[in-house]
Amino acid sequence: MQMETAIEVNGLITYYGKREVLKNLSFSIPQSMTTVIVGGSGCGKTTLLKHLIALLKPAKGTINIHGKDITKMNETTLIEFKKKMGVLFQGAALLNSMTLADNVALPLREHTQLKQPIIDIIVRMKLDLVGLTGFDTYYPAQLSGGMKKRAGIARAMAMDPEFLFFDEPSAGLDPVTAAGLDELIIKLHKAFKLTLVVVTHELPSIFKIADYVIMLDAGTIIFIGTIEELKASTSPKVKMFLQRQAEEEPYRPEDYFKIISGS
Amino acid sequence: MVTCTSMKIELINRNGVVVISPSGEIDMYSSPLLRKELISFTKKKISPVIVALRDVTYIDSSGIATFVEALKRMMPYNGKLKIAEIPESIMKIFNFSKLDKVFDMYESIDDAIKG
Repeated sequence: MQMETAIEVNGLITYYGKREVLKNLSFSIPQSMTTVIVGGSGCGKTTLLKHLIALLKPAKGTINIHGKDITKMNETTLIEFKKKMGVLFQGAALLNSMTLADNVALPLREHTQLKQPIIDIIVRMKLDLVGLTGFDTYYPAQLSGGMKKRAGIARAMAMDPEFLFFDEPSAGLDPVTAAGLDELIIKLHKAFKLTLVVVTHELPSIFKIADYVIMLDAGTIIFIGTIEELKASTSPKVKMFLQRQAEEEPYRPEDYFKIISGS
Repeated sequence: MVTCTSMKIELINRNGVVVISPSGEIDMYSSPLLRKELISFTKKKISPVIVALRDVTYIDSSGIATFVEALKRMMPYNGKLKIAEIPESIMKIFNFSKLDKVFDMYESIDDAIKG
């Protein structure tokens, strides 16, 4: 598959305290495709995403977006750069004291000189895009989990970003609502040819939305390739993940006893 | 001519009809210039207002919103906003937002004047 690179990560290493959580990762994210970062809980998916959106700085390594290393940027340059990025956080991260319209308008008020009538129109366009027409005066607390996620996407899309990042979009949603959100992700991708990066461990989502897959296990990459290559993979760890098999217990009972008894 | 970093606007006189001709990118930072120009026409209740998009390479939501607002301002005096010479990439954005059914769109400036 011929792919143009949007994001290139080289030798990424990061620690939480003394624990190495991302272990020398190197990979590329293709332009105008949906890349899904998968793996079990605690494998480093969300930490990796936080590095890609420059919320965290690595101990070592580079992250080049369109050839510019975001790990070396100063705060001012980074703010400009982040305007190209929309992010849907796990809990949607809406501001509860604001209506949906004000939540979506927030980045436009912060980063542009657009007048209120134009902002009002853009807000209605974005809410319509995610199926929330008529909900502009609602507060986040008045919405269901799925609607909050959609509102979060509307806000992430407010500035017409080039990149859209999703952290566990289906987390906490029932399967039908989660499937609806996947459809929305596909629709956005088709309509705007955005570069999408989705962190998830939901198998149905992976097969539905992914063009390209990066699989992590304990901070290392165990698979990278297209969705077809993922399905055909013979790697035992990949197969285990796809077949929802639990890993074998790492300790024998007597070792476990020694650990918890401190002997 | 009005200019900013990513866009400039020329006013062309075609057989006595003034045509607004932006070129470059209509984005969050340049669209306020286009808005200012359109408002100067709508305040005088000029109709039709013709905008030629031949030299526009990109339009974002703020650009689309600028046209929507202008049309809304023209409705009370039955004014017509005519958009002409729309490149294919820009047309796709109008199509997606379903606004191709709302605005009067023409292949050429002459068609817009005649239509």
